[in-house]
Amino acid sequence: MKRTPAALALLTLWIAALGLLGWFVQRQLVIGADLRLFLPNPVTAEQRLLLEEIGEGPASRVLVIALDGAEPPALADASRALVDALRENPNFRVITNGEVALDAVPDELLPYRFLLSPTLDTQPLDEKYLHSELLARGRDLASPAGAFLEEWLPRDPTLELLKLLQRWQPMQEPHREFDVWFDRSGKRALLLAVTQAPAFDPDRQRIALDELEHALTQVAGKQHVTMTVSGAGKFSVLMEARTRGQAQAFGTAATVGMILLLLVAYRSFGSIVLSSLPLASAGLAGMAAVSAIFGTVHGITLAFGFTLIGVAQDYPLHLLSHRRPDHEPVDIARSLWPTLATGVASTCIAYLTFLFSGVTGLAQLACFTVASLAVAGATTRFGLPVLMARAGRDFGDSRFLDRLWDRIAALPHLRWTALALAAVAIGVVVLAPQRFWENDLSRLTPVPRDLLMTDQQLRSELGTADVRYLLVVSAADSEQALSTLEAIEPSLQALVKNGAIGGYDDAARYVPSAGTQQRRQQRLPDPVALRETLQRAQAGTPFRAGIFEPFVQDVEHARALPPLTVEKLRASPLGASIDMLLTQRSSGVTALVTLSAVNDVAALQDFARKSGDSVRLLDIKDASEELVAAQRTRILWTLLAAAVLLVGVIAIALRNPSRVLRVLAPMALTTVLVLAVLRASGESLNLFHLIALILAAGLGLDYALFFEHASADRAEQRRTLHAVLVCSLSTLMVFALLGLSDVPVLRAIGVTVTLGVIFNFVFALLLTRPSPERAK
Amino acid sequence: MRFSPLVNEPLVVAGELGYDGPTSLDRRVTQPYHETVAIRGESVRVEREGEPVRSFGLNRAPELRGLLSGFTALLAGDPAVLERNFKVAASGSDEVWTLELTPSDARARRRLQQIVVNGRADVPQCFTMLTANGGASVLLLGPTADRELPKPTTLDALKHLCSAE
Repeated sequence: MKRTPAALALLTLWIAALGLLGWFVQRQLVIGADLRLFLPNPVTAEQRLLLEEIGEGPASRVLVIALDGAEPPALADASRALVDALRENPNFRVITNGEVALDAVPDELLPYRFLLSPTLDTQPLDEKYLHSELLARGRDLASPAGAFLEEWLPRDPTLELLKLLQRWQPMQEPHREFDVWFDRSGKRALLLAVTQAPAFDPDRQRIALDELEHALTQVAGKQHVTMTVSGAGKFSVLMEARTRGQAQAFGTAATVGMILLLLVAYRSFGSIVLSSLPLASAGLAGMAAVSAIFGTVHGITLAFGFTLIGVAQDYPLHLLSHRRPDHEPVDIARSLWPTLATGVASTCIAYLTFLFSGVTGLAQLACFTVASLAVAGATTRFGLPVLMARAGRDFGDSRFLDRLWDRIAALPHLRWTALALAAVAIGVVVLAPQRFWENDLSRLTPVPRDLLMTDQQLRSELGTADVRYLLVVSAADSEQALSTLEAIEPSLQALVKNGAIGGYDDAARYVPSAGTQQRRQQRLPDPVALRETLQRAQAGTPFRAGIFEPFVQDVEHARALPPLTVEKLRASPLGASIDMLLTQRSSGVTALVTLSAVNDVAALQDFARKSGDSVRLLDIKDASEELVAAQRTRILWTLLAAAVLLVGVIAIALRNPSRVLRVLAPMALTTVLVLAVLRASGESLNLFHLIALILAAGLGLDYALFFEHASADRAEQRRTLHAVLVCSLSTLMVFALLGLSDVPVLRAIGVTVTLGVIFNFVFALLLTRPSPERAK
Repeated sequence: MRFSPLVNEPLVVAGELGYDGPTSLDRRVTQPYHETVAIRGESVRVEREGEPVRSFGLNRAPELRGLLSGFTALLAGDPAVLERNFKVAASGSDEVWTLELTPSDARARRRLQQIVVNGRADVPQCFTMLTANGGASVLLLGPTADRELPKPTTLDALKHLCSAE
């Protein structure tokens, strides 16, 4: 570090600029977790549904909750208290333990019970029916449940509301104890929650889970109640925490190791601190550029971005390794610049193709890396040298490096061997038996098996909706959607009856179509007739004359009601369940039929085929895998374009076919070999492998460029060897550590880059190093 | 026997009670129709001829809970158990006595106002449960149940019957 006023002023300015950028980023940058940012535009109708309308489907928002650890009565109480505590919580759309509360229905909706319940479809309110109902109510009143019903009977002697509330319960009714859901053994109380946040938003899912935990400690009091929460949202929180935890642990270890390595290599703490400035500037500049242009950036973009700018960390190391006592660092930077600039420019131009990939996440990635690498290159050239003092020693004088270089020089040039190696590698890539690509993204962050088993078990106890299959009804408006749902209802019931599915849920179970409601309305008797019928029906029952007047009034009220609309129900406390099942969009209405316990997919497909164009069976897993595949095709084309551009830039910079070949050969050979090793070890490739391969290619390009540049001078060759050794060793350490992770995403990146660095280094030495004749 | 503002005459049913420890009580109605209400732990099952079986939580039936805890406490002869849940007022002699049990929890009182137990020597005879809305149900046990019901059957008349020698 220089202590001149100019250097100190620059350093102050630099740090101030970093501070300012940091402040801007912190204020401006919104990190999104919406996976859709990272997916291409949908092509098929299924993909559009998946992306635009339903996210990952209503089932992905469902959390199943089990309480145990205390006596069943205490668990039932805790279950009730938990529902009471969270009913109004904004993080949950629904939380329920199955308890039917008569007061759950708002007063103004009560008269609608006659229009919503199917009783009137088959049963008019005639004397015979009312008489038998009243007899039953008399018995109810004499039974121990009497006190509970007493208040309610004058208004609803047929218990229509109770029928309605029971109808709204899940079709596969879970086991109950003390009125609330329990597992079949009666030992665990079960609840079901639907979060506001989708499963792929781990941050908001975590908030919801914390609220749940908090509510439990509040309601459990002294009781020892343990809670098990399961569901896609819980898993995403868990896996995100695990991935983040491991990435942080390995990151910390790598940073410590890197500092030690640099200390050994350069023996100057100040230099290391200085050399971190370009990388810090790069990261901040990248984030600032993305936030200025896009506003929201996907978490994955950032993670990939920081992986890719690993290349930038090498830039100051080249400068450090090439310093010598007899030259000002500024002059050294100038002499290195053509090589460095070629590397930076070609990489940046290649990444620019991502901007046109049609995938927002990739465009962000391009923006981030281009800004980062440009800033890292520029600061290494123009900022860092001004701050640096002259070196105390010249790595060009190193005896060790001299001997090493001689040994390397004695190695044969392996042009034909390299070609043969490439041929073998391509053979391995093509012939490996496993699938080439891994489309199932969930395999990258696999959920532990025991958690999945618990999840499966709880879901089957509760009969929750299937996470994979879904029926989708498209219609022009709500009324048409509801009519369609009513039309397919008999077939759905047949499917339940023959065991193809365990149950289903759709909007029409809550709100019948206006037509159906009007038909029921017409069957309601007028007050005079009803009073008369009641009077006759009351004969022989214990009830007093005239006490059912509130019932008569409700019926009269119901006769004049406008049909209940989805919008009206949605605005009421009961709206949460219908909200997910029927969505209004500019182009029409989409209604979903969720299915539980899907046993016979073929029968479902058959049913969907016969139900006309407006009803489709959506296989969420298939559709999302197709999306991933479509996205990859895009990326591969983009990469091809990037490669062509890269070769073009290098060709223009080096102007000599044999030099171009020597620079590009190690990179190309490495890519093929890494692919071969991955394939031979039984891996199927995914997006993370691709990103890692791009990083490895960028590193290899720089190694080759610097070796190629060093052709002329022996001392320069040793300095270059030093620089590339330090660069590759530090990168190797970071990514080899990551390769030890047991999270497949991290391992994929770690192993791929590790292999890439080793191959690139070796091939740069073997193929790019100057031939002995020229060195002389 | 239930008194309710909804009905002309009190609803009278007859049958038997089976008590099998503090968590298990059966109430079997044999007249004028058949119905079995069974408490097992915290859940109540109702079986009535010609209707599907229903079940609900004991919380929904405060009278049953009162009956159960009253029974348990009386049969165990343990005033401490009683006093945990009720405010107890006793009157009368060892031979003919009356216990007035008022739930100590305000929330429980909203549903079940008071239980009055009349007994003779060591046998309870009547359980009168008063609900908050003016309704009441009276359970006549043993020999008392076999006696002729007073006409007209009012709550006061039954009270008299229960506290009679």
